[in-house]
Amino acid sequence: MLKEEVVVSSRMSPLARRKSTIGVIVAVGVAIAAAVGCGSSSGSPASKEKGHETIGFLYVGPHNDYGYNQAAYAGSLAVKRAFPAAKILEAENVPETAEAERVMEKMIRDGATILFPTSFGHLGPAMNVARRHPDVRFLHMGGLKTAANLGTYFGTIYDTQYAVGQAAGMATKSNKLGYVVAFPIAQTLLNVNAFERGAQSVNPRAKTYVVFTGSWCDPGKQAEASNALIDQKIDVLEQHQDCTKTVIQTAERRGIFTTGYHVDASSLAPHGWLTGSEWDWGPLMVQMVKIVEDGRFRGSPYSGIYRAGVPSGVIKLAPFGAAATPAIRKQVTATYDKLKAGWIPFKGPIRDQSGKVRVAVGVTPNRHQLESTDYFVQGVVGKIPGGG
Amino acid sequence: MLLEDVLAGTVRSGISVLYAAEGELISERSGVINLGMEGCMLTGALAAFATASATGSLLLGVLAAAGGGALLALVHAVVVITCRANQLASGLAVSFLGLGLTSWLGAPYVSQSISPLNRVNIPVLSAVPFAGPVLFQHDVLTYMGLALGPLIWLFLYRTRAGLILRATGEDGAVAFAYGHSPTLVRYLAVVFGGMLAALGGAQLVLAYTLNWVENITVGRGFVAVALVIFAGWEPLRATVGAFVFGGSLALQLRLQARGVDVSPFLLNMAPYVLTLAILVVASRGRARRPPGEIRAVFGTSGPGSTRSAVDA
Amino acid sequence: MKKSLRRAAASGLAILIATLVLFPIVDITLEDCLVRTTPFVLCGLAVAVPARAGLVNIGGEGQFTFGMVVVTATVLLVGDAIDAVLLLPLLAVAGLLGGAVWAGIAGLLRVTVKLNEALSTLLLNFVSPLILAYFVFGPWRDRSSFNLPVSKPYPDAAQLPTFGLTQVHLGIVFAVVAAVLAWAVLDFTRWGFTVRVVGGNPEAARRAGLPVKRIVFVALLIGGALAGLAGMVEVTGVERVLRPNIGVGFGYIGFLASWLVGHRPLELLASSFLLASISVTGDSLQINAGLPSTSVYVLMAVVLLLVLAIRGLITRGRAD
Repeated sequence: MLKEEVVVSSRMSPLARRKSTIGVIVAVGVAIAAAVGCGSSSGSPASKEKGHETIGFLYVGPHNDYGYNQAAYAGSLAVKRAFPAAKILEAENVPETAEAERVMEKMIRDGATILFPTSFGHLGPAMNVARRHPDVRFLHMGGLKTAANLGTYFGTIYDTQYAVGQAAGMATKSNKLGYVVAFPIAQTLLNVNAFERGAQSVNPRAKTYVVFTGSWCDPGKQAEASNALIDQKIDVLEQHQDCTKTVIQTAERRGIFTTGYHVDASSLAPHGWLTGSEWDWGPLMVQMVKIVEDGRFRGSPYSGIYRAGVPSGVIKLAPFGAAATPAIRKQVTATYDKLKAGWIPFKGPIRDQSGKVRVAVGVTPNRHQLESTDYFVQGVVGKIPGGG
Repeated sequence: MLLEDVLAGTVRSGISVLYAAEGELISERSGVINLGMEGCMLTGALAAFATASATGSLLLGVLAAAGGGALLALVHAVVVITCRANQLASGLAVSFLGLGLTSWLGAPYVSQSISPLNRVNIPVLSAVPFAGPVLFQHDVLTYMGLALGPLIWLFLYRTRAGLILRATGEDGAVAFAYGHSPTLVRYLAVVFGGMLAALGGAQLVLAYTLNWVENITVGRGFVAVALVIFAGWEPLRATVGAFVFGGSLALQLRLQARGVDVSPFLLNMAPYVLTLAILVVASRGRARRPPGEIRAVFGTSGPGSTRSAVDA
Repeated sequence: MKKSLRRAAASGLAILIATLVLFPIVDITLEDCLVRTTPFVLCGLAVAVPARAGLVNIGGEGQFTFGMVVVTATVLLVGDAIDAVLLLPLLAVAGLLGGAVWAGIAGLLRVTVKLNEALSTLLLNFVSPLILAYFVFGPWRDRSSFNLPVSKPYPDAAQLPTFGLTQVHLGIVFAVVAAVLAWAVLDFTRWGFTVRVVGGNPEAARRAGLPVKRIVFVALLIGGALAGLAGMVEVTGVERVLRPNIGVGFGYIGFLASWLVGHRPLELLASSFLLASISVTGDSLQINAGLPSTSVYVLMAVVLLLVLAIRGLITRGRAD
């Protein structure tokens, strides 16, 4: 039955209470130590034997996100297969802050001599750690800054996004395409521009509507953003997010077309999948590890700013889905062949949303200029926050 | 049409918060504040998703969610009712527990898929222009959620059990005097509240995002607690509150899709700022009396508490 | 004075022992631990000081973040023109101000429309990261950094010096000093006494003629200021640049740290150290044991729940 509150006199003395607090904390502390001690392996000194390196991978999100991190993880699997005697360390959900430095330091303590930080935002932290450990090699995915022992690489996936845009432009009936974007950074803006230009090249009336979710992976926002776009009669949905399932499955259940990014997710959208862009990092990563092992890192292209184009095989066009008609397949495959031969789909004139000419007639910008994009091309509906 | 889309989107994004808010309302009406609702929502979401993906049965998923949420809420109940610990600290710890556990146990499920909980258009009503798409073209869990407000209102004000619940929240001693155990009532209320929040989490993943990642609720559980205060502990107003939140989320995305020139970051603030603003306005109106026992939790800072010296 | 010091020393020692048991087993460094302890202490104080006045400040996250925003604004305005000797104290003030302002919003709502601060601070936690994102994606974005949402790196003058070759920065001194100051002020000054009276028995305080509303408001401001200082310390001592997601969870962990020790500043040093070492263990758990780093939240939550439960049971003399 209900017990009334006990009178003060039976209250425990503050000292005794504190002792009990401490007792609990000590007990829990020991328990933690025991639990973790049993589960962990202690760091081993770096093995200098070839093929027996310790290699570390960092992902900004979960490795099975059906998107960016999954593509990077697939690359790490290729490395594992190619170097069976190497020890692979992995950390996922590593934020793009000084936390990443700590994770990298920990991997180095565990003997890592090659590190693959795979997110753009890991660049700053990686540069700091690189400075402190000149004997470790860093192969950073995505950035544009290097150091003596840090090289950075990426792929020109916006090239295949042009072809993907063509598929979208041909498939759409409403002439409205949708793009769910995480943040307004050059890489995402470039992809949207490529997509829209591709669509326009086969369908001059196609427009791309952009919504920013403000997060690389927030399924709640992704779902609402997708629904919002589809309510506006968008009938092809593309995205630039790290985790891709929600947008694709929302599009599929509402019966519209989907194009993909990062990985081949056609199994998620059996009816609506057209095509997409996907990464194949494996061969590149294996090659990089080999070069580092051979001691040829300095002076190799990987110690600098390395851009893999479509010809290298790092970027691929994802398989066509059932929704891709023969006409679409023909057009897109033709474009893909051009891309594989080295064509860059960004020849001027390119105008931004206000009509101003950003790339003059007949000029093709170089990679550096492209990757400084800060505007949307004409035909894109959406505002870039922070000015464009 | 924009208004229709926004309202339909409002229901879609607000319904999970609604479940959590109504659950919190029941708990607070019995005299216990549960800041662990975020943890309960996450637990429900993971339990539903994992079960549905493993067994293929959405129903089992929903049941698992209810069980998981109830279990986590039970922890909070034990710590604050039986052990008489501070409710706010315990609730926050429970949310952390839920976040940590679901991140850990849920990691393998990030890549899994489920067959979604699909929409069921209510015959005849769903064809009604405007009201049709807004209210009658949703999934089963949403329909249940929409009915929650009225159902809980009926329960609170038209049933004996509801009266006992309210009495316990006002003053446990009174309830005791009439032969009811405040302890039992509170346990039931907290556990049931956690269960409702878990169902909200289940709706979020089974019908809306169709996906699981860690921290998928991003704060909805906490917002629900605020909404209960905003609603003055009234179930129908809590429904409105949840839709204010959901609506601002839906609106800002649609404004973006139309190329409106406002920073998405500022637009993203809207749900929270709006909730805060409405809380402010609501507080200035006639004093919203919290259940008597809740005032003790807030101590000197009870909202609208007439006995508080601080606000005298 | 002697008694409270003795109590603090005893509990501190016990917690330290528990923590140091972790070290050799779990492969975390004392360095990482100390660096992580600093913001936890300050965020814990952000909860502890208002708590003594009877307030619940769950807004450490938001106050921390807004502190960082104000600090960065200051750095961008005058960072290149002033020496470290003047700049760092100025930035500390900026952090204190930023956090105080953010808490002040909740405080204002509290004393005018009686809106409970637990709720307002909680909701505001969601708003200040968006403000940070607005600036870091917009006007403050480092254009030379190829559109990463990052501010310009802090000039050398705006970076907290570190001790020797370690990563441990001056912030740890701020934390310890703040804790000692808080203890001294709360336990030995007249103002501290009035705060504790308001927290313990507001009715008596009012009858005694104390300006209760003002005391409450100031206590909340101080709490926010300390969280803002935590933000300043983290951004000038660890990150050295402004980005999104700095210090996520620190405010809430500070809340846990403070509750673990009943809001006592000296013991907070030890509970922060314990939680910091658990937090830092996350990397090891991930890399060596395959657990996600957020699993550490489970440990922290379990510790707090156990302490709350046991303490509650013993204090009330119940054996239900």
